[in-house]
Amino acid sequence: MLTVASLSRAELEARLAGPGLSVQTGPFVSRIHSPIERIAEGIATLYGDYPLRDFDGFADFHVHMRRSGGLRRWYRPQVSFDIDGLEPFEPLPQEHAFPMLEWALNWCISTRAHAYLMIHAAVVERDGVAAILPAPPGSGKSTLCAALVSRGWRLLSDELALIRPQDGLLVPVPRPISLKNRSIDVIRDFARDPVISRPVENTTKGTVAHVKAPGDSVARAHESARPAWIVFPKYEDGAVTSLEPIPRARAFFRVAENAFNYSPLGAVGFNTLADTIDRTVIYDFRYSVLEEAIAVFASLKPPAA
Amino acid sequence: MKHLPILVRALRDPDQLVRYTPADWDLLLRQSAATNLTPTLLSLAEARGLLKRVPAAARAHFDWVRPLAARHRQAVRFEVACIQAALQPTGLPLLLLKGAAYAMADLDAGRGRLFGDIDLLVPKARLDDVESALMLAGWAGTHHDAYDQRYYRQWMHELPPMTHVRRGSSIDVHHALVPETAPVRPDPDSLRARARPIPGMPGLATLAPDDMVLHSAVHLFFDGEFDKGLRDLFDLHRLLGEFGAEPGFWDGLAMRARALELGRPLFYALRHVQRMFGTEVPPAVLAAVAPEGPTPALGWLMDWLFAHALLPLHPSCASAASASARFLLYVRGNWLRMPPLLLSRHLFHKAFLTPRAAA
Amino acid sequence: MAASETWSLRPGQTLQHRQWDSEFVLYNDLSGDTHLLGDAAIVLLQALRTGPATRAALAAVLENEFEADAGDDKLDFAAEADSLLDHMKRLFLVDRSAC
Repeated sequence: MLTVASLSRAELEARLAGPGLSVQTGPFVSRIHSPIERIAEGIATLYGDYPLRDFDGFADFHVHMRRSGGLRRWYRPQVSFDIDGLEPFEPLPQEHAFPMLEWALNWCISTRAHAYLMIHAAVVERDGVAAILPAPPGSGKSTLCAALVSRGWRLLSDELALIRPQDGLLVPVPRPISLKNRSIDVIRDFARDPVISRPVENTTKGTVAHVKAPGDSVARAHESARPAWIVFPKYEDGAVTSLEPIPRARAFFRVAENAFNYSPLGAVGFNTLADTIDRTVIYDFRYSVLEEAIAVFASLKPPAA
Repeated sequence: MKHLPILVRALRDPDQLVRYTPADWDLLLRQSAATNLTPTLLSLAEARGLLKRVPAAARAHFDWVRPLAARHRQAVRFEVACIQAALQPTGLPLLLLKGAAYAMADLDAGRGRLFGDIDLLVPKARLDDVESALMLAGWAGTHHDAYDQRYYRQWMHELPPMTHVRRGSSIDVHHALVPETAPVRPDPDSLRARARPIPGMPGLATLAPDDMVLHSAVHLFFDGEFDKGLRDLFDLHRLLGEFGAEPGFWDGLAMRARALELGRPLFYALRHVQRMFGTEVPPAVLAAVAPEGPTPALGWLMDWLFAHALLPLHPSCASAASASARFLLYVRGNWLRMPPLLLSRHLFHKAFLTPRAAA
Repeated sequence: MAASETWSLRPGQTLQHRQWDSEFVLYNDLSGDTHLLGDAAIVLLQALRTGPATRAALAAVLENEFEADAGDDKLDFAAEADSLLDHMKRLFLVDRSAC
């Protein structure tokens, strides 16, 4: 199977500007169209390992990142995202094009792929079992996720936990990990030679950059994983590292609150979530020192199968 | 119309689905996603046992929408139960229209059909009672702008939509099929008198089959909002398919249309449902409605307008022609509902003065 | 309310639920909501699963199940049952039956 890296930069740009670049991430094929240089740059930097698909075959999402801005496009160029003619968001400054693409791809999955129970969470795996890290923005989930991944955990996703109702397994969608502000430097130091995209300043979330997913994680994107732990992380400056179990009935609602499609899935959502709660050990996790956090995760024991 | 979009061809003849290539499925699912018809395609494929022969990548998209259709049906049943409970003090039967009627009566037209509002028909004299009863049960009025309030209460055939304060669900309370200001007046008393109870659901009713078809026709061809045009035309196709098998349905249809002053919409409905979906309509019925049709010159224009406006709302089916067709029909739709003087004020108001919703 | 007033499960409620310690999460088949319920509520719902029951019978079910736990406190099981039934009626879990 050919990967995106097999294309020269010129070929990559030509496909993006023309018939579209079809790339596979986990179970989803996205056909991306964009004449914007920053998009080509981001994809060239971070998407080399992903399988390339035929641009005239079947794709799940048809994503356009267009130059927009009307009359102002010459001094204040913008980028707009549309999925096949539907434009769900206001345009952004053109420098934000690559982060916008990442947010757009997450939006496409989380608003459509209702074959899965989808939770807003990072998912990492080792030794055949996975930890789900749900977290509202600002909890440090992505930093922790990037740190764990740099220390040998497999990346399933940094934003989307996809649980298959039929068997309760997690389906990977390993894509670049998004980092904000201080985390970018933290991970640059913490990981060994991470590949990080050009930071984009002044977004609504501050400065944003993306870390390339490890080649191994992308290569194993077809391997589902059994959930063993649900850990709600909270980074707090100076906090003592602590891991507190959460009573299951309360955990049920906390996870449901972090799900994209719990209610639309009806009884299937209820049973899938309940089964997941049954099978996992669930914690609140507070930390301030990354090395300590890594050690805690290394010591987690899976529940008896 | 020589070349029908793949979505239309699939709706016309679902058995074709098994011959589609992955590239065909790619285009088909994009068109159906844009028009919210994927659950409908799924229900057609399931009814014919075709799912096993759909390629896995395409079948995944059906798996994505299947839970939504089920959840939607559950939500409709629940809302109807809540509305019934709320309206019990009024003593009125609950006469459902459009999507809610198709769903609760378990009609073909309801399978895989998602919609936003629940529509009811009540006597005009009881509007205040109904509104109060609904408000007591948690539905609040919307469109508080004084202009919009007047638009609905004085000129239209419905209250401003009501939204439930906790659940966010929406009800449209109609007292007639068309606005006060329209040039035709289908008699609401006659419609209510002929209403059919839904078997097994005490207190619930729908319009009689011929009236249901006529309502669908007038809603599509007079309302002017064609973004749901293809779906509404497909509703007509399924309604005619189901009711056409009932004895006496076709015989009385043209006459009933004339009695309700809805001959012209029925003419357009039968014409376009045939052209788009190949619906079987007895020649005698077509002959009976022919006199209701427009003059040849107008007819040619309307054919062109409708043919383009009814196409799927997707870039692959779009053209300058269809965009302008849609706009012209929107203007025509509003003209049919309101006398011209009122119209231009209303459109301007809607475009510039109504506060914009947050993105 | 008369002691003989009869209550039943709303048709369509399958009472899918899970128990963790003494807390229960229950899926509402009619509204699509999910509820966090205590053990008393579940006991009443499961009693109604077998068929309609009077107010008095339901109060007795609660007494039977929880009297030992009550110890020295004299709980008003009838009032508890009434309050729970009322709450669950509003949730569309149960309803008064026509007699």
